[in-house]
Amino acid sequence: MKEYSIVGKHVPRNDARAKATGSALYTDDMKLPGMLHGRLLRSPLAHARIVRIDTSRAESLPGVRCVITGEDTPKVKYGNWRLFPDTQDEYPLAVDKVRFIGDEVAAVAAVDLDTAEEALGLIEVEYEELPGVFDVDSAIREGAPVLHDYCPNNVSVNRKIQYGDIDKAFAESDYVREDVFTVHAVSPAYLEPCSAMAQSDLDGRITLWTSTQVPYIVQCLLASTLKMRENDIRVIKPYVGGGFGGKMELRAWEFCAAFMARKTGRPVKFTLSREEEFLAGRRRHAMKLYSKVGFKKDGTLTGKDLRIHLDGGAYNAMGPTATFLCGNFGAMLYRYPSYRFLGEHVYTNKPPASAMRGFGAPQSIFATETQMNIAAEELGIDPIEIRIKNAQVSGDEIPEVATVSSCGFIEALEKAAEMSGWKEKRKSLKDGRGIGIGCYSFISGGVFNWFNTQYPFSAAEVRVFGDGTAHLLTMAADIGQGCDTVLKQILCEELGLKMEDIRITSADTATTPQADLGAWGSRLTLMNGNAIVEAARKIKAQLFGTVSAKYNLNVIYDMECKNGRVYPANKPDRGMSFAEAVAMTQKANRGEPLVAFGYYTPRGKGLVTPAFSFGAQVAEVEVDKQTGIVEVKKFWTAHDCGTVVNPKAVEGQLEGAIQMGLGYTLSEQFIMDGGKTLNTHFLDYKMPNAMDMPPSEVAHIDTYEPEGPMGAKEAGEGLAIPTAPAIAEAVFHATGYRCRDLPITPEKILNGMEELPQAKSKPAARK
Amino acid sequence: MKQVIKLSVNGDPYTVAVDPCQTLNEVLREELNLTGVKLGCGSGDCGACTVHVDGRAVSSCLTLAVEMDGKEILTAEGLAPSGETLHPIQEAFIDKGAIQCGFCTCGMEMSALNLLQKNPSPTETEIREAISGNLCRCTGYTKIVEAISAAGEKMREGDR
Amino acid sequence: MMRLSHFDFLAPATIEEAVGLLQSKGADARLMAGGTDLLMKIKLGAIKPGFIISLKKIGGLDQISFDPTTGLTIGATALLADVADHPDILKHYPTVAQAARGTANVQVRNMGTVIGNLCNASPASDNAPTLLAMEAVLHIAGPEGKRKLPLDQFFKGPGMTALKPSEIVTAVGVPVLPPNAGTAYISLSARGKLDCTAVGAAVMVTMSGDVCKDIRLFVASCGPTPLRAVKAEEIIRGKQISDDLLAQAGSQASQESRPITDLRASGEYRTKMISVLTERVITEASKKARG
Repeated sequence: MKEYSIVGKHVPRNDARAKATGSALYTDDMKLPGMLHGRLLRSPLAHARIVRIDTSRAESLPGVRCVITGEDTPKVKYGNWRLFPDTQDEYPLAVDKVRFIGDEVAAVAAVDLDTAEEALGLIEVEYEELPGVFDVDSAIREGAPVLHDYCPNNVSVNRKIQYGDIDKAFAESDYVREDVFTVHAVSPAYLEPCSAMAQSDLDGRITLWTSTQVPYIVQCLLASTLKMRENDIRVIKPYVGGGFGGKMELRAWEFCAAFMARKTGRPVKFTLSREEEFLAGRRRHAMKLYSKVGFKKDGTLTGKDLRIHLDGGAYNAMGPTATFLCGNFGAMLYRYPSYRFLGEHVYTNKPPASAMRGFGAPQSIFATETQMNIAAEELGIDPIEIRIKNAQVSGDEIPEVATVSSCGFIEALEKAAEMSGWKEKRKSLKDGRGIGIGCYSFISGGVFNWFNTQYPFSAAEVRVFGDGTAHLLTMAADIGQGCDTVLKQILCEELGLKMEDIRITSADTATTPQADLGAWGSRLTLMNGNAIVEAARKIKAQLFGTVSAKYNLNVIYDMECKNGRVYPANKPDRGMSFAEAVAMTQKANRGEPLVAFGYYTPRGKGLVTPAFSFGAQVAEVEVDKQTGIVEVKKFWTAHDCGTVVNPKAVEGQLEGAIQMGLGYTLSEQFIMDGGKTLNTHFLDYKMPNAMDMPPSEVAHIDTYEPEGPMGAKEAGEGLAIPTAPAIAEAVFHATGYRCRDLPITPEKILNGMEELPQAKSKPAARK
Repeated sequence: MKQVIKLSVNGDPYTVAVDPCQTLNEVLREELNLTGVKLGCGSGDCGACTVHVDGRAVSSCLTLAVEMDGKEILTAEGLAPSGETLHPIQEAFIDKGAIQCGFCTCGMEMSALNLLQKNPSPTETEIREAISGNLCRCTGYTKIVEAISAAGEKMREGDR
Repeated sequence: MMRLSHFDFLAPATIEEAVGLLQSKGADARLMAGGTDLLMKIKLGAIKPGFIISLKKIGGLDQISFDPTTGLTIGATALLADVADHPDILKHYPTVAQAARGTANVQVRNMGTVIGNLCNASPASDNAPTLLAMEAVLHIAGPEGKRKLPLDQFFKGPGMTALKPSEIVTAVGVPVLPPNAGTAYISLSARGKLDCTAVGAAVMVTMSGDVCKDIRLFVASCGPTPLRAVKAEEIIRGKQISDDLLAQAGSQASQESRPITDLRASGEYRTKMISVLTERVITEASKKARG
């Protein structure tokens, strides 16, 4: 790995002290004089026509300042896929119809929370209940209840990919495998419930503080739903307590806070309860996947035919992107000479699914990896060997999907095998123990411009000063993942400054440069990092000119900006301090401030992403064959994220991803009765706690991503993917039960073991 | 009807009129502006609201403020009274990279203190058990466990 | 919305005063020990009491005492955490400590009480089955004075007990365990460690060599109250414990339980697990009794 001075070094987070002492302010920690407290009235029915809403009793309750329903609003639909306005299917508050239990129907703002809550109980809504539909199979059936008039078959989005001759490929295969998989919805379960506070400024403009991953998207969509101009809206992201995809759209409470602040002239704050988060919050898509894959006898892949129905819930939310990415990820990891994909996003009367860590990939790759494991078993090839045989390598092109640039996949497979003692353990583990593998690839930001922004995807402004400091301004949103720190490190590296030399202003749409698409899809290190590098280079060019002029240097000299100095590479003594260089440059320009902008929008990188990460994970489990309870004994992970900018941040991301992957695989799920979510508390939403986490070992595969800043690319999101297939294979290895239906519950294992032929307890490979 | 209670919060005396239905969490956050005391669930499951009452870690969301008359409350804000030198637990959390989004951090620190006061050199299992009532969605707990172990060491050195 | 509805708060200083308040306020009043269950019920809107009567100001009610002749007494406001860590309990009643330690999480154990957990009468209680197995007795005070009630006559259904109006459970007593007695409690949940119980079993066996002289077996989360598996006990009582006998007892205990399907487990899974847990708790308890 290339040595850098700050990139790759342990640097404590920018915000760690504020967070450790309790002084970091999250949205709900803030209050303004005269602030009103908002609450939302939610639909108790999964599908109904709103016949009548009477808010008069609520309005007359003392302390209530404002009550609104959809009828009071400008009734503008919104959605993140602005490029295709048909997909914008949601009103800030329900108009005419409700489509899931928890759909927002009305809002109250009152002098205190208890009054607001009491007022909700006084709003009378008359509904005409409609038949609901709660699973994808029923929703696409002829005559099923229709959620949205514009979409009579409930399929709101479809995505097709096809290359190679798939039918011929299957005809020429020695072995063709067909399976149906189902995967379930889970909650991002960020610790900070959503919160938004709005103020109508004296000039009529709106300022909104909100717990969001996407200040720019909220700014634009809030403007359109309020029928205001984008720049009359200022969105500020305070500290955010995690998002994981669940906070990447405009949401009802953001609209209501702004709308009601304008209406009342007083600041208004909404904060959701955890119950509301579980009842109505965004979630990872449940899916049904039909996958057919062909091999030659020796394990060489011939082709894959993948069909997916995404259970989108009542609105599109980020479902179109998930649909798109499911197809892309279906073609990743291995070399499929032919590939056909059809993804359909289906409406059901359930809380909308949306983005969540992995964004379609955990589901799509669960099918890929499980089938790979089945094929290995049935072809008599070791699961890691069959993967290495088919693995994508640097330079591979996938039509319509991507070109793979840096790629440490094979090395990751080999490393995971070595660390875990794979070969020995596959043969010799005792009964009830098993070992399995799953792999992943993930994007470093998306290319497809569904938001239809006219701005660059990422932007940075760098101001430098004669005291040797710099100010970085960027709209990038640190939601806990640590981008404020990582982006500062990248700027330090480029300018040769120290962390304490940099002030950062981030995620304020009125003061940071347009634009940044937000914190999702693992895009910020690469995209915003590149924008920062460009801005810094423009600054450096000016400083180099100043130093060259002062020392009358040959124009061919290479210049450097390091350790707080600016100097010719081969004559370090002929330089000056960074501070002096800035001051001299300003003097040469009549005092003009030294500022530069940098931008990044991917070019020539296909439609998916500029760079892919790769990795492999091995899980060892022990299954109690009487109770079906699985205990993961250890995880071994080898990952390729290009250059590591902040080692502890990367490790922390990986460790967190494993927790989420473990929960997804074994314990987290929404227990639904039709459209009703039954587990609306952490007590029964089983997120792994500290005692549930097994030991884990991580190895970094050293690669350099040419498109990334200092060689960096995605880290930590992709690792939400491999855990489910790795554990599923380990459980199979331990018990003979093969899971095609997540989550893997004790009950499924016991039933699965009972169904095995002659209750065969060991897979053939163990003989 | 509101009742007047006198309590000590982070060493400072307060007299507050509270409604019997107000939780300690509401009083600390809304009246005393102690923003390190978070509200993550309101049902005692997530631990983000953990504070000490007379030296014991409790969920402030399930504690009635009216019962706090005469009690000593410690929150994360009170860990480092001077504001300059941090508490060893805070230092370790910063140093070990145990903080990501930070929403669980103050509650975790209070649970860590609850453990280390009773058991200055805990095993990894004891640490994990001690924070099992504090959920974290970012870190996978690894670095938090490391931080608490390191803090214990530092606190033992400090005692010597 | 997870905020508490309005109530008046009363903190009597004596049991008599508390009983008097319960009498005067009637059904609109609720007793509170630790409050963790009660406040959640109010937050969820399940109940809306006009008065909360706290027991915490009553002196001596938080006592835990052990006497080698009369046994263990746990007061109404003794915290779960203190029960879990109490040296006498750890020594003489390790299963009582284990059940307390298995209840909720650290913070809740620092607020909640064993008696509160019993009076909540949840079929999923960790503390009820173990105390039932050990023949615990409740000390009750009421308008008509004090009385004692065996715990196995206390539970009447989910959230329902044999308490008469205005009665207060002041303590739970656990007799000295018989010589050569062993106890065990195992609970399962979907998440594995430290979690609300989806199914559980507790037992006390008294051994004479390899022969089981007496047995009390209770299953949790498998009916409206913790259930005593009487017929399963009969299979074991007076016999030499063998694998075959254990299997029979397990299967009998399954037949005796009446589990429902809920969000924590299916009835079918619970039925299967009762059999497994019965075998495991009896094996563990008999091993402890002998060893």
